[in-house]
Amino acid sequence: MGFDAYSRNRPSNFLWAAMGKQRLILAAVLALTIAAVVVIVQIPTQLGLDLRGGSQLTLQVQTSEQVPQISDRDLAAVQRVIENRVNGLGVSESVVQSVGQDQLLVQLPGISDPEQAERLLGGTAQLEFRSQRPGTEVALAEIKRRLQALQAQQTLLEGSDDQAAIAANQAEIASTRSALAELFEPSQLTGDDLRDAIAQPVGAASNQWMVVIEFNDEGADLFADLTRNIAGTGRSLGIFLDNVLLSDPGVDVEYAETGIVGGGAQISGNFTAETARDLEIQLRGGALPLPVEVVENRTVGATLGRDSVQRSLYAAAFGLVLVLVFMTVYYRLPGVLADLALLVYALLTWAAYNLLGVTLTLPGIAGFILSIGMAVDANVLIFERTREELRAGKTLYRAVESGFYRAFSSILDSNVTTLIACAALFWLGAGLVRGFALTLAIGVIVSMFTAVTCSRALLFFTIGMPQFRRPALFCPGLSTVNPQPTSQS
Amino acid sequence: MKLKVIQQRGLWWVISGILILIGIGSMVLSWQQFQAPIRPGLDFVGGTRLQVSLDCSVPDNCDGPIDLTEVRQVLESQNLGSSSLQLLGDDRQTLSVRAGDLDVGQRSQLQQALEAQLGQFDPAAIQIDTVGPVLGQQLFTSGLLALIVAFAGITVYLSVRFQLDYALLALVALLHDLLVTLGIFSILGLTVGFEANSLFIVALLTIVGFSVNDTVVIYDRIRENLSRTPDREMNDVVDDAVNQTLARSINTTLTTTLTLASIVLFGGESLKFFALALIVGFIAGAYSSIFIASTLLAWWRSRADRPGSPAASDPPDSSEPV
Repeated sequence: MGFDAYSRNRPSNFLWAAMGKQRLILAAVLALTIAAVVVIVQIPTQLGLDLRGGSQLTLQVQTSEQVPQISDRDLAAVQRVIENRVNGLGVSESVVQSVGQDQLLVQLPGISDPEQAERLLGGTAQLEFRSQRPGTEVALAEIKRRLQALQAQQTLLEGSDDQAAIAANQAEIASTRSALAELFEPSQLTGDDLRDAIAQPVGAASNQWMVVIEFNDEGADLFADLTRNIAGTGRSLGIFLDNVLLSDPGVDVEYAETGIVGGGAQISGNFTAETARDLEIQLRGGALPLPVEVVENRTVGATLGRDSVQRSLYAAAFGLVLVLVFMTVYYRLPGVLADLALLVYALLTWAAYNLLGVTLTLPGIAGFILSIGMAVDANVLIFERTREELRAGKTLYRAVESGFYRAFSSILDSNVTTLIACAALFWLGAGLVRGFALTLAIGVIVSMFTAVTCSRALLFFTIGMPQFRRPALFCPGLSTVNPQPTSQS
Repeated sequence: MKLKVIQQRGLWWVISGILILIGIGSMVLSWQQFQAPIRPGLDFVGGTRLQVSLDCSVPDNCDGPIDLTEVRQVLESQNLGSSSLQLLGDDRQTLSVRAGDLDVGQRSQLQQALEAQLGQFDPAAIQIDTVGPVLGQQLFTSGLLALIVAFAGITVYLSVRFQLDYALLALVALLHDLLVTLGIFSILGLTVGFEANSLFIVALLTIVGFSVNDTVVIYDRIRENLSRTPDREMNDVVDDAVNQTLARSINTTLTTTLTLASIVLFGGESLKFFALALIVGFIAGAYSSIFIASTLLAWWRSRADRPGSPAASDPPDSSEPV
C-alpha cells in the first residue's frame, strides 16, 4: 500500500485545520439541503398552463377614432372590464395582467370551454343606464340579497378545489344576475354618452366618497329624462356593465320636475375610497370605445398537460442518471462526490423555484435539465484541472486545491456569459421564452454555488480520510507511489 | 496523443466554410419559398393550429386511425383546403390541423365539422394555438432583439475580462455556430417540414451562451499560459491550451448532449426539435472553440506581431485570474 509513505509527506496541521473548516461547510450544506426538502414538500411547485391544462389568451386593446392612443389609465380601465368578464366565467385562480402598452394577458387554468371564454372576453364593453320597472322594489331587494349570499359562497368555494360546486354556484349567480337585469328597462343612454367618471371625497375632510359622472350633450338630455321618471318614486337607476349591475342609485324627489340636468351627477352612498375608485374604473372602462381582440390563444387540454409533465419528468430523471453514471465511470472518486453535489444541486434548484414562485412551463423544465449539464461542467473543469496538476507531480491536496483555484476563472467567465444571454432573453422575450431564461439563470447561479462549496467541501473532507487519499482514485493511470512532491506552488 | 490544431488549420476552416456555404444555399432556397431563411412556424407568421384526439372512452370511437382523406374533404368544405395536416401518436388517432388565422367562430365550426365526420373528441386532450399575424411579428422582433443584445453584452464582458480581439474572435466562433445550426435547420425545413417557432429562438440564444462558454475556457487557458511564458511562440501556446482543455471540452459537450438526448427520447413533441437544435449547436460550438476560435486567435496574434518588433507581443491582461 502506498498511502503510508504518502501520508508522511502531508502537512498535517494544515490539513486538519482545513478538514475542520470543510466539516463546517458540509454541515451547512446538509442543513441547506434539508431546508430545501422541507421547502419542496411545503410549498407546491407552480405549474404553467401548458403543464396543468388551461387557456392563455393575449388580448390586444385596439385604438379607435375617439381614442387614438391608449394611456395607462385606459388600459387599467379595460383591464377592470376584462376582470369582470373573467369573474363571470367562474374559473378559480384566473389571472389578468397588463403586458406592455396595449395588451392584456389572461390565464384561465383548467377551463373546460375555451370557445365560450374567447367569445366572452373579446369585444367592446357595454355600459348601460337603465331605469327600474315599477312595482319591483321588493323583488329587487330580495334578489340583491340572494346575489350577495351567492357571491360570498363563491369566494368560499374558490378557496377549495371543488370544481363542480364552483361551476354550479357560478351558474346560479349567472341566472340570478339575469333575473336582476329583467327588473330594469333598457334605455338609450349608454357608455358612449359618458364622458368621464371621477372618484372623490364628499367633503374636504370626509371619509365618505362619491363618484362624479359627466355626460356629453346628448347623454345629458337622456339622463335628465331617465332621472325625472324615477325621482322620488323609490325606484332606482341601474348602471350595468356587460349586463352586470354595478350600482343602483336612487334619485331624490327634488329632481321630479326636471330630472338631473346639465349632464353632471354624483353617485354617493356608502363608498369608501376603495369602492369609489373601483366604480370609477369600471364606469370609465365601460365608457371607453376600445374594442378588445383576442390575438393569441394557447389552450392545452388537462390530460395533454399531465402527459407533458410525465414525459418531462422521465426526461429529467433519465438525463440525470446518464450524467451520474458517466461522472462515476470517468472521474472515479471525485465523480461520485460530484454526483452527490449534483443531487444537492437539483434539490436546491427545485426549492429555489418553489421559493421564488417560478411558474414551471415546458421550456422552463428544459432550462432546468440544461442547467444540470452546466452544473456538471463546473465539476468537469475542476477535475480535469486536478488531474493535470497531479500529473505535474503535485501532492493530492495541492492538486485538488489548485484545481479549484485555477478552474474558477473559467467557471466564472463561462457562467457569466450564459447569464448575459439569459438576461437578454428574460428582458426582451415573451411568455415561454422568459420561463426558460428564468429557470436556466437560477440553475446557473445555484450551480456556481454548489460547485465551489459543496463539491469542494466534499472533496477536501474525503481526502482528509487516509483510506481515500490515493491519487489513483482521482487520476487512473497515475502510479500509486507518487514521485516526491516538487516545491512548485 | 497530442492534437495539432494549428498545423491543419486550413482543413478546419475549409470544413466549416463548406458547412456554412451549404447552409446559406439552403437559406437562399428557403427565402425564395417562405420569404425567410428558415421555414417560419405559427409563432412568427400567425395562424391557428388545432390538435384533437379521438375520445376512446366512447364505445366504437377509436376503431382505427383517422382517415386523412376524410379530413381533407371536411377542410375543403370549410374553404380551408390549403391547411396542412399531420397525424400524431402511435395509433394515429390524434390530428393536428394548421390553418390560417381563424377566429373563434370559424374554429369551433371546423371542430364541429371534424367531430361530425370522425367521431367524438376528448375535450381534455385538445390543444389550440392561435397567433395573430401582428403578434407573430412582435415575437420575431423581440427574439431578434434579444439575440443582438446578448451579442453586445457578451462582447463587452469579454473585452473587459480579456481583450477586444479575443471578444471579437469569440463572436466569430459564435456566428459560426449560429450559421451552422440555422443552415442545418433550414435544410430540415425544406426536407422534413421543420418549422421554427419561438422555442427555436430560445435554442439559438442558449447556443450563444454555451458556445461562448467553450471558447472562453480555451481562451482563459491561452491567457494563463501566455502570462506564464510570454516569450513562447503563439502557435505553440494555443496548441498547448487546446490540448490541456480538450478532455473538458469533450466531456462537457458529452454530458450536456446526454441530458438533451434524453429530452429527444422522452420529451414532448414540441421539445424534440428544441433539444435537437441544442445538440447541433453545442456540437458546432465544441468544434468551433477547439478548431476555429483557437486557430483564428493564433493566426491573428502572429499576424499582428510579425510586422512590429517582438516587443509588441504584450502579454494580454497580466492580472492574475481570480
